[in-house]
Amino acid sequence: MAKNNILIIDDDEDIIETVSILLEHEGFTISSSDNVEEGLEMIRNSPPDLVLLDIMFPEKKTRGFEAAAQIKEINEKLPVFAFTAINREYSFDFSKEEIQADEFINKPVATDKLVELIRKYI
Amino acid sequence: MDKPAFAKKVEFSNLHMVIKWFINLRWIACTGVFLTLLILYLSFEVQLPYNILFTANLILFTANCIYLFYLVKIKRKVLTNKEKELFLHVQIISDYILLLLLVFFTGYLENPMIYYLIFHIMLTSFLFEGKILGFYTSLTVLIISTISFLQFNKLIPYYPLSLFVDNGGYYDRILGRTAGISSILIITAYLISSIKERIDYKGKLCEVELSRYKSLDKVKSNFILQVTHELRGPLAAVIGFHEILLKGITGEIPDKSKALLTKANHRTDNLLNMIDEMIDFAYMKSELDINFDEKKLRISELIIENISLIRENAEKKRISFNVNCSRNIQLKTNRDLMNMILGNLLTNALKYSKENGEVSITCSIEKSEIHLVVADRGIGIADSDLEKIFDEFYRTKTAKSLEKDGTGLGLAIVKRAVTNLGGRVNVFSRINNGTSFHIYLPVSNLKGAGDGKKQHINN
Repeated sequence: MAKNNILIIDDDEDIIETVSILLEHEGFTISSSDNVEEGLEMIRNSPPDLVLLDIMFPEKKTRGFEAAAQIKEINEKLPVFAFTAINREYSFDFSKEEIQADEFINKPVATDKLVELIRKYI
Repeated sequence: MDKPAFAKKVEFSNLHMVIKWFINLRWIACTGVFLTLLILYLSFEVQLPYNILFTANLILFTANCIYLFYLVKIKRKVLTNKEKELFLHVQIISDYILLLLLVFFTGYLENPMIYYLIFHIMLTSFLFEGKILGFYTSLTVLIISTISFLQFNKLIPYYPLSLFVDNGGYYDRILGRTAGISSILIITAYLISSIKERIDYKGKLCEVELSRYKSLDKVKSNFILQVTHELRGPLAAVIGFHEILLKGITGEIPDKSKALLTKANHRTDNLLNMIDEMIDFAYMKSELDINFDEKKLRISELIIENISLIRENAEKKRISFNVNCSRNIQLKTNRDLMNMILGNLLTNALKYSKENGEVSITCSIEKSEIHLVVADRGIGIADSDLEKIFDEFYRTKTAKSLEKDGTGLGLAIVKRAVTNLGGRVNVFSRINNGTSFHIYLPVSNLKGAGDGKKQHINN
């Protein structure tokens, strides 16, 4: 069986919904969480094959790149795609190198490109 | 005395220039005095103590040589403020002494050149604050009065300058003339120092205003940056829903609805582009730091990445891209700015190309500059528009008729990005023949100073 379990962690439910539908249409199985703590719990209990992580969480000022590091602590080999509405590096108040993400994906998502990238990793 | 009086007035970067200027003035004075003496000596047979005068002139010449030599030395060595202050004092004192000497032996109060002291007072006031200027002025007046007093009492000799003026009755005029020159010097010093005070005050006001304006501008730009980011999120969701519906994932939708949805999607895409342009523009306006990437970026790769972003639209219009750029051409630069430049130029080239057209992108190295050309064979730009297309918010009639939505910021962003990378941009266009944008970027980025250092954006 091909690996196709993807976990989406994003505080915007509509983004979760659209990305889920689009990716399910491409044959992936999606689970999701709207907060980092629950997401981390899900990774521990039923590990997905790949994580799409919003790195701009306003909630509790938990910054996504901290979460990325936490995910990598749980499972170093688990691919993490940083997911952000920000499309320019200058808007990050940190550098991409600091974030332990394998890829950076801009919202809105170009589905074809995203699928292509996911297939590179799993 | 940790704060030299002149330090506030004359910046040290300027000091070098000011001293150079002094030295040049002195060369002129020196030559002038020498020629005058020579003419007086050879042609008019005026009786003057030439030995003393030529010696004084020689001293002036030698002193100036020493100053020049010292100036060259300063350039290499960093002097303390105190040393710099001393250097200026030495020059000014020597100038006063030499002028007084020259004048004293050539008629003194009868010699009109004594009024050159006014220029000395001016130059002093240019370099020093009120107190020091006051000191120099009173000292000069004191010396002049002393000499006059001594001459009046015939304790020291008087060297008449009989050629120009009738020196009969010189002693009767000494007191009046001394009072005259003294008051003129004092008034000059007073006037100039008060004028300077006013100018300084105005300058300070301007500085305060400028910094206030700059901080306001920064707040404004950061606000735009924040807001536009907040807009991207919801828009991303809307675009996602459109895609789901258009793909028919949730069930086929009627053709008519699909057509409407396609229109909605198109406008939303435009809105996103406009927001992105406004974010870029706000970024350019705010004084955020530009980082230069540690690694060199391959220009050819950047071009291909940016083409891939617009491939879908290009296929719709059957536009082909012809890239002619060696993989060896690399540049230490800023990825965001390069993407803004290439993204905007390629989008424009695509937008204004005719169906089945071709867009060519070439890059080459010419004399320590990277020369990048994006050329289309599209509808072209009218000459009357050509000079305005880089203006903020300017949209040509053609642009408006081709697309309703637009900010008119694309090329303004390109221009700012290129400027911030230390380069320049040119455009050539002919109606119905196409447009080509030429970008020149310095290879060793002087302004950006490569090495991943931070650079400030200049507005």
